[in-house]
Amino acid sequence: MSEPVWTKTISDVNPGILINMRNPRPSYYIAWAISIFGVLLGGTCWGIQIALGMGVTGLTSPVFWGVEITNFVFWVGIGHAGTLISAILFLFRAKWRNTVNRSAEAMTIFAVITAGLFPLIHAGRVWDLFWMMPPFTNSNNVWINFRSPLMWDVFAINTYLTISLLFWYMGLVPDLASIRDRTTGFKRLVYGFLSFGWRGTAKQWWHYEAGYGLLAALATPLVLSVHSVVSWDFAMSLQPGWHTTIFPPYFVAGAILSGMAMVYTMVIPVRHMFRLEGFIREDHLESCNRLILLTSTIVAYAYAIEFFIAWYSGNVYEWAIFQKRAAGPYAFYFWIMVFCNCIFPMLYWNKSIRRNIMVAMIINVLINVGMWFERYNIIVSSLVEDFVPGSWGHYQPSWIEIGITVGSFGWFTFWFLMFCRFFPFISMSELKLIMPKPLSPEGRKALQHSSLEGEEHV
Amino acid sequence: MLKKLMAKLNPPPGPAPQGVLAVYTYLDHFCSAIEHLRSTQEVESYETFTPTSYHEVEHASGFGYSPVRWFTLVCGLTGTFFGFALCMLIDLDWPLVTGGKTPGIYSLPAFVVIGFEMTILFGGLGTILGMLIMCKIPNPKTTILDNRLSDDRFGIFVPNVGPNSSQAKLLKELGAQEICEISGT
Repeated sequence: MSEPVWTKTISDVNPGILINMRNPRPSYYIAWAISIFGVLLGGTCWGIQIALGMGVTGLTSPVFWGVEITNFVFWVGIGHAGTLISAILFLFRAKWRNTVNRSAEAMTIFAVITAGLFPLIHAGRVWDLFWMMPPFTNSNNVWINFRSPLMWDVFAINTYLTISLLFWYMGLVPDLASIRDRTTGFKRLVYGFLSFGWRGTAKQWWHYEAGYGLLAALATPLVLSVHSVVSWDFAMSLQPGWHTTIFPPYFVAGAILSGMAMVYTMVIPVRHMFRLEGFIREDHLESCNRLILLTSTIVAYAYAIEFFIAWYSGNVYEWAIFQKRAAGPYAFYFWIMVFCNCIFPMLYWNKSIRRNIMVAMIINVLINVGMWFERYNIIVSSLVEDFVPGSWGHYQPSWIEIGITVGSFGWFTFWFLMFCRFFPFISMSELKLIMPKPLSPEGRKALQHSSLEGEEHV
Repeated sequence: MLKKLMAKLNPPPGPAPQGVLAVYTYLDHFCSAIEHLRSTQEVESYETFTPTSYHEVEHASGFGYSPVRWFTLVCGLTGTFFGFALCMLIDLDWPLVTGGKTPGIYSLPAFVVIGFEMTILFGGLGTILGMLIMCKIPNPKTTILDNRLSDDRFGIFVPNVGPNSSQAKLLKELGAQEICEISGT
């Protein structure tokens, strides 16, 4: 890929980003109001569920994991792209990540927090939840079962949230120091407090970079492990359609696909609202779409292999579930999933479509729809028909569950927009690194000379 | 009593840094200035500032490996130990019986996930701790020498010298765009 042509220099970064941060376009406030409306709707629905009980949901025997668990898995998946972009692409030295990594990290935090709400919502009686926490468990001699994938999941998600938070905040520290240096009075005090008194000495940067690299190296296996553990919530059971070894890589690829699509979906409007077109360039957005194309092909392959193995295994229950997924009562959702996740993203083989922001935006929103239905499909279509035909049933989400789902999108968007308003939405210190270096006229000449000879310059 | 304690917690601020700050616009001038200062030893102590982590500056300053990695290693291994110990010790109180064997005989594969997650968690926390300790932050008494240093300028600060000293002249010769006097007020 060719290097993007920069019209800005590193001197434009701080003023360009910080002035726009304080002064968004009116569309920002409209989006903010819509997200608040979503939160209110979701909150009301949850309130109704708390007041009237779980009967208001569509959950009934044999399906006790419905839309709320679907949302949990979906939001954990969305939370994947942040640390993927921050950590894995950092280790691969993919320069384009520096323009979108901050927003992706923020997205991760808010998505995981949103996901964390769903076990609470799903559990029903939230006011009794403390019985599940130490020390009540310990004092009642109820210890945790470390062989349960659900327990692993608690450890995995909490570790992921903690490490993502640290990674995100560590990246923010030098940028908050930049804001501190541009403000006065009370604001300077607040940002000075938040930036820990960062001075930007070469020594500090040296330790900072070392720590950042190590954290990236730790976060990389973590990213891959978290959604593997989430997939084990299903794969470790004996349920046909869940009990497959392909689940971990399949979930991870799906999570990256949905996460990248969500990054794109969030970055494009915010880039417009805060007038950041000069910093997040078309080339960077195109790289995002290339990664979506890659993970979409992996997901398509996983869908195909899942079907092949179900047939090839000779297990009649397994094969029956898969036949019903494609042609049974839930076939509509299945085909939404296939078209959104595997077929539409194939348009990205065409470069002009990858670079067309409007078209790419539509495709990426569709991918998110498709990924939501993937989770819905996996969870519901396996549960409706278990080994005992007498207990087979049907599941239809109630409007309460749909309201809570809409609310979760509002909640997520609300926090994301708040973040963009008060914190630098682009990592300023890292953006400076991928821009042309501030060299003197002689230095620039020497650089051109050495690059003509193909030498590494200092 | 309380007054003494408060005085201990909030010692009066020490003398603020005093000296000259040479501000550089260009990365290559800045790097060659650092290299010059390192090789000739004409200036005894100085501090360098950059707006972002340019590797050129790291090379010019002759930094090697940062000790932060030892924090990561030690804390990571502690985490592994903690994760497995957590499962095993709880197993003594609440046995997860494997194949009818007595408690104390463990089936480790299930505990690998917990051990792994704790390795990452402790390793990550240790890395942050190491970074904070090595960078000497959080530091509530930070003095900001120049607001441009976090924007797009590089700086070399030499303490306890005046703007007309030989050190200041040397920095000017090495390509400094301007020499600012930092008064210790």
